[in-house]
Amino acid sequence: MPRSVTVLQLGDILFRPSRVFARLAESEPDPTRVFFGLTFWLILLPPLFTYFGTSSHGWLLGVEPIILPDEIVVAVSIGYFVLLMFGFVTTALVSAWMARTYNAEDSLGMSFALVSIVGAPLAVGSIVHLYPHAFANVIVLVPILIWTVYLLYRGLPVMLRTGPERGMLMASALVGYLLVAWVSLIGITVVLWGLGLGPDMGI
Amino acid sequence: MPAAAEPVRAYDDRIVRAFTVAAVVWAVLGMAAGVWVAAELVWPTLDFGLPQLSFGRLRTVHTNVVLFGFGVSALIGTGLYSVQRTSHVSLYLPKLAWFVFYAWQLAIMLGAISLMAGWNGGKEYAELEWPFDIAIAVVWVAFAVVFFGTLARRKVNPIYISNWFYGALIIVVAMLHIVNNLAMPATLGKAYSLYPGAQDAIVQWWYGHNAVGFLLTGGFLGMVYYFLPKQAGRPIWSYRLSIIAFWAFVYTYIWAGPHHLHYNAVPEWVQSLGMVMSLILLAPSWATLVNGVMTVSSAPQKLKTDPGLKFIVLALAFYGLATFEGPMMAIRSVNIMSHFTEWTIGHVHSGALGWNALITFGTFYFLVPRLAGRKLHSERLATVHFWLALAGVMLYVLAMWGAGITQSLLWLTLDDFGEVRYGFIEVMAALNPYYLLRLVAGLIFLAGAVLMAANFWLTLRGASTERAYPPAPIAEVIA
Repeated sequence: MPRSVTVLQLGDILFRPSRVFARLAESEPDPTRVFFGLTFWLILLPPLFTYFGTSSHGWLLGVEPIILPDEIVVAVSIGYFVLLMFGFVTTALVSAWMARTYNAEDSLGMSFALVSIVGAPLAVGSIVHLYPHAFANVIVLVPILIWTVYLLYRGLPVMLRTGPERGMLMASALVGYLLVAWVSLIGITVVLWGLGLGPDMGI
Repeated sequence: MPAAAEPVRAYDDRIVRAFTVAAVVWAVLGMAAGVWVAAELVWPTLDFGLPQLSFGRLRTVHTNVVLFGFGVSALIGTGLYSVQRTSHVSLYLPKLAWFVFYAWQLAIMLGAISLMAGWNGGKEYAELEWPFDIAIAVVWVAFAVVFFGTLARRKVNPIYISNWFYGALIIVVAMLHIVNNLAMPATLGKAYSLYPGAQDAIVQWWYGHNAVGFLLTGGFLGMVYYFLPKQAGRPIWSYRLSIIAFWAFVYTYIWAGPHHLHYNAVPEWVQSLGMVMSLILLAPSWATLVNGVMTVSSAPQKLKTDPGLKFIVLALAFYGLATFEGPMMAIRSVNIMSHFTEWTIGHVHSGALGWNALITFGTFYFLVPRLAGRKLHSERLATVHFWLALAGVMLYVLAMWGAGITQSLLWLTLDDFGEVRYGFIEVMAALNPYYLLRLVAGLIFLAGAVLMAANFWLTLRGASTERAYPPAPIAEVIA
């Protein structure tokens, strides 16, 4: 019988992830249900926190806060939401595509659920965006990020119903993909800054 | 008439063991020096006012010891191990191989002391002064004689792909080292480069980037092409792809150096050439990545029995990152933001820690039990090491990405008069928390390396090197 995962199970997702992995491994979650039941709400959190934090404190990237006009903050928050959505969908698609190589469950619903659960601590941890000091965000989010990588290695073999060895290989391949995607994002960002879209710099 | 049968001599593996042990010792010492200089960036008074412990001197000790002590010792050791097995003969001139071992270790030790004493040629990754340069050239030629002499005596006709990479490492590093260090000695501890100004910079980065290319990439690919199929118990996924990737790699890499000199006083076409060749380089780099990933993916069951294989799997992920990030940073419009910032340091370490160190650790976890003829002392300790290495390198790279972007933004922000808005002190103060995070990352990674060293010591303790013999010729087996 198809089962899904929703935002109501957030407590289990954060504190008893192994139980959630095991439960979902026996189901066939529908991608639409996963998306509207869990993913959408998780992805909404970081842009919302960004909006409120940046509006009230301004971004502190180094020395003094950067206070942005409200319409810019809205645009940045919407851009953040779109980017997270894009990142989520592409990562889930890559996971489903890779699953065939590793003899794992290649349904899109399962990849949607896996990426959502693994990313959930980061989405909740983004509450630190309410205080948009760059280093405060780094110090909170980096350990959480390392925890999510650990969750990926733990959860992938269980949820995608492949052995621990194949699961380890696929998780490493996904980590490789995510690292490349991340650095591409940084690269694209700085090129856009250089073209004048973003902070005003003396280039 | 058949010639009289030569007595079959066992493979010379004691020399491999010596290089492996030396590499592990240098790894711990070099990484500890790295942690120390990382701490100095957080607490500058940690040099206690001693010039020998100042950042400028100790940083070069860190880079030289990890690159040439750890990295090159690992490459020579694994090169000597694999060339014997892929050639089915023992080493050519084994005593010369021992000369290479002792001379190399002595050069690294005295070189590190000379750097602390303030001898410094001023060229990055080629800081050692001219007496060391001559000594290194002599030792390197001796290594070439042993390696190519063994290859020339091979009893297998084709030259296996790992030997092409090790061979390229030996030839190109000799060429780079000699050409870049041509200098006129003034005193025992000081020489002046033969090249003037911008030409000197071009030669230096032709050296510098190809040291990255042929030593840190090509040499370690040689290691991968021998040890990965061994550990996976499968042949390389596509041998043809490995040959194509080798020639494309050799041809392309040699042109990429000028990307270190963007926006500098070298001709713009030279910069553009360096950028374009760096971008092309992505193709052969990722061809090897695909080959490695597909080879290991076809033998997942080996992960159960080989504690080193997961290091290699992770190393391939970081190889993918570093070989993508490098060409991207060579694009001039990215480089204007990334150059001279901590982003570059993060990039170097995603390669050095994520790729070079992890691939070497994975190889050593395979090699050490075989050299000792017994099981690894603790597989559990190796697993703990794996998680420490993963956490350490991730934290390092992320901290440096954050630091680099912050640094770049602050440097490039102008005030209302078009002047630089933030001064040195303000930028350093903004970076301090990231430096602290990097220190933590380095400590975590170092802790893993110390665990590995202890594990190897307990494995090798009291065990003599296992003797292994070349396989008998096919005719003999049939007879």
